[in-house]
Amino acid sequence: MISRRALELATAILTGGFGVAVVVQSLDNGIGWSSEGVDAGTFPFLTGIIIVAGSLYNLARGVVPAGTLASVPIAITSVELRRLAGLFVPAAIFVAVIPLLGMYIASAAYVFAVLAIPRHQSIARSLITAALTALALYVVFERMFQVSLPHGALAAVLGF
Amino acid sequence: MDNLAELFHGFTIAVTVPHLALMAVGVLLGILVGVLPGLGAPNGVSLLLPLTFGMQPVSAIILLSSMYWGALFGGSVTSILFNIPGEPSSVATTFDGYPMARDGRPTTALATAFGSAAFGALVGVILITFLASWVAQVALAFGPPEYFAVYFLAFASFVGMGGAAPMKTVVALAIGFAVAAIGIDTVSGSVRLTMGIDELVKGVNFVVAVMGLFGIGELLVAVEEEFHARAVSSRIDWREVFRAVGRLPRHSVALLRSAAIGCWMGITPGGPTAASFMSYGIARRFSRRGRYFGTGEVEGIISPETADHAAGTSALLPMLSLGIPGSATAAVMMGGLMIWGLNPGPMLFVDQKDFVWGLIASMYVGNIVAVVLVLLTVPVFAALMRIPFVVIAPLIVIICVVGAYSVSNSYLDVVMMLGFGVVGYLFKKLFYPLAPLVLAIVIGDKAEDAFRQSMLMSKGSLGIFFANKLVTCLVVAGIALLLLPLALQLFARIFRKPNSPHTTNQEKVII
Repeated sequence: MISRRALELATAILTGGFGVAVVVQSLDNGIGWSSEGVDAGTFPFLTGIIIVAGSLYNLARGVVPAGTLASVPIAITSVELRRLAGLFVPAAIFVAVIPLLGMYIASAAYVFAVLAIPRHQSIARSLITAALTALALYVVFERMFQVSLPHGALAAVLGF
Repeated sequence: MDNLAELFHGFTIAVTVPHLALMAVGVLLGILVGVLPGLGAPNGVSLLLPLTFGMQPVSAIILLSSMYWGALFGGSVTSILFNIPGEPSSVATTFDGYPMARDGRPTTALATAFGSAAFGALVGVILITFLASWVAQVALAFGPPEYFAVYFLAFASFVGMGGAAPMKTVVALAIGFAVAAIGIDTVSGSVRLTMGIDELVKGVNFVVAVMGLFGIGELLVAVEEEFHARAVSSRIDWREVFRAVGRLPRHSVALLRSAAIGCWMGITPGGPTAASFMSYGIARRFSRRGRYFGTGEVEGIISPETADHAAGTSALLPMLSLGIPGSATAAVMMGGLMIWGLNPGPMLFVDQKDFVWGLIASMYVGNIVAVVLVLLTVPVFAALMRIPFVVIAPLIVIICVVGAYSVSNSYLDVVMMLGFGVVGYLFKKLFYPLAPLVLAIVIGDKAEDAFRQSMLMSKGSLGIFFANKLVTCLVVAGIALLLLPLALQLFARIFRKPNSPHTTNQEKVII
C-alpha cells in the first residue's frame, strides 16, 4: 500500500534529483555570457534551477497535508500494486533479455509467459499467440519495412 | 478570397484516389488506437512516423492527421459503449454518453457524439482556413525576440489555463526543456547533459518519450483498475442516426459555445482534454437542464465532444502558422514535419502551398471519411474490446518497445522508453500534465535558439523583449498568464475561506 503523500514525495524527489543533475552537468558547459553570446550551459542551467525550485515546492506541498491530499490518502492499494507489478516486472525482464535473445524470441517468450503462467489462457493458445506475435513482427518489420530488429547475442552465437 | 482559391487548389490535391485511400487507412488505424486503452493518438502517430519517411510530405501529413481524427472518434466509441475512455480527451463523454447508451439508446448517443464532433471539427477547420494564412503573414515579420515571446506565451498558457497544479506544470515543462537540451548543442556544437552516457550525444528523440509517457504510462494506469468491458448493444440503427443528427440544430447554442471553447483551447495550447472538461462544466452550469447532467443528457454529450474535436483540429493552426503545436499529438506531427525536411512556421505558407492547403482541404474530407467509417465499424471495434486486457497489454508493450527501437536502432532508446513509462505513470497518477512535457521536448531547442539569437542581437540585454509593441504585448500577456493561478489563489484567499474544495475539481480535469 502506498499513500498519496509518499508517492508525491517520491516523485518530487525524483524530479528534483533530475534537476540537480541538470544543474551540475550544465556547469561543465559554462553559464553566463561569453564572446560567442549566451553560453551553452545557460539555458539548461536555468531549466535545472526551475526544476529544483518547483520540485521543492511540490515536496513541501506533499509534506504539509492539504485538503486535497487528505481526501485521497491512498494512491495505490496493495491489489493495484500487485497488478502493476504483474504488468511492469515481466515487461522490464522482456526489455532486459532483448540483447541476449533478440527481439523475436524475447517477445514470443514474453507473450507466452504472461499468458500461460498466470493461467489466463491455455498452454496451446498461449503458444499460438506467442508464435503469431513473433511472426507478425518479422513480416511487418524485417520484410515490409526493412527495419532490422535486434537478433540478439544468442542468434549471433548460433550463426544467424 | 485568396484563401478560398487556395482551398480549392488544396481539394484537387486532397481528393485523389491515393489520398482518399490514405485517409481511410489513417482513420481506421486511428480508431484502432483510439479504442485500445493504453494506445492513444500521440503514440499512434509516432508509431506511423517512420513509415512515412519515403512518402511525399503532403501524403504523409494526410495519413497522420487522418489517424488523429480517427483516434478522436475512436475514443468516444469506447466512452459511450463501455464507459471506458479510450483517450484522455473523451473522459467527459462518459459522463452522459454511457448513461444514455445504458438506457437503451446507444445509437442516439453515438450519433449525437459523432454529429457534434464533426461540427466541432468543421468549425476548427473553417477557422484554420481563414485565419492560418493571416497569422502566418503576421508571423513572417517576426524576428527571434518575437518568436521567443510567442513560445513563452504558449508555455505560460499551459501554466495559467492547463487546469493542472501550476507548479506541477512548470516542473513538467522544465523537464521537457532539459530533455530537449540533451545531446549536441546546435549553436556551439558542445555536448550537453549526457550524464556520462556517450550514446546520449544523439539526444533524446521525442518519439521515445511519447512511447513511454503515453504508451507504457497509460497502460500502467489502465492495468490498476481491472475493468470488465460490459458493452451495451453495439448495433447501429441507421434511421436513428439521421434522426439524432437532425435534432442537433435544436442545441445550436451549446454547439456554438462548445466549438468556441474548443477553438480557444486548441489555439492557446490548452489541449482537447482540458477543452472537453471545461466545455462540459460550463454547459452544466448554463444549460436549463443542467441538473439532469450525468443521467444521459443530450447536451452533456454535445458539449465535450464538440469542444474536444474543435480543439484537436484547431491545435494544428499554431503548428502550421507559427511552428507551435497546440496539443501533444500536434507536437508529434510537427516533429514529423521537421524530419520530412519542412520548416514548420509561416514560411510554409509561402514555400509549401501545396502541402499546407492540401492538408487543410484534407481536414474537411478526412473528417467526413472519419464519421462514415466510424459509424460503419462500431460493431467491429466494439468486438475488439471483448479481447481480454491481459492479452492486449503485452502486445501494446511490444509495440512500444519496437516503436522506440526503430527510431534509431538503439537499445538505449528502449531502456529510456521504459523509464519514461514509469515517469508517465507517476505523472498521470499525481496529475502532472504530460502534454507540456512533450511540447517542450519537441520545441525546446527552437525556443532556446530564439532566446540565444535575441540575446546576441541585444548583446545580452533582456530589454529586447520589450523593444517594440508587439513583443511587449506578447511577453506581458505571457507573464499575466503565469501569474493568473497565483492571482486567483489570492483572490480566493481574500474572499473565501481557505481550503475550498475547488482543487479536487481541478485535478479531475486533467485525468
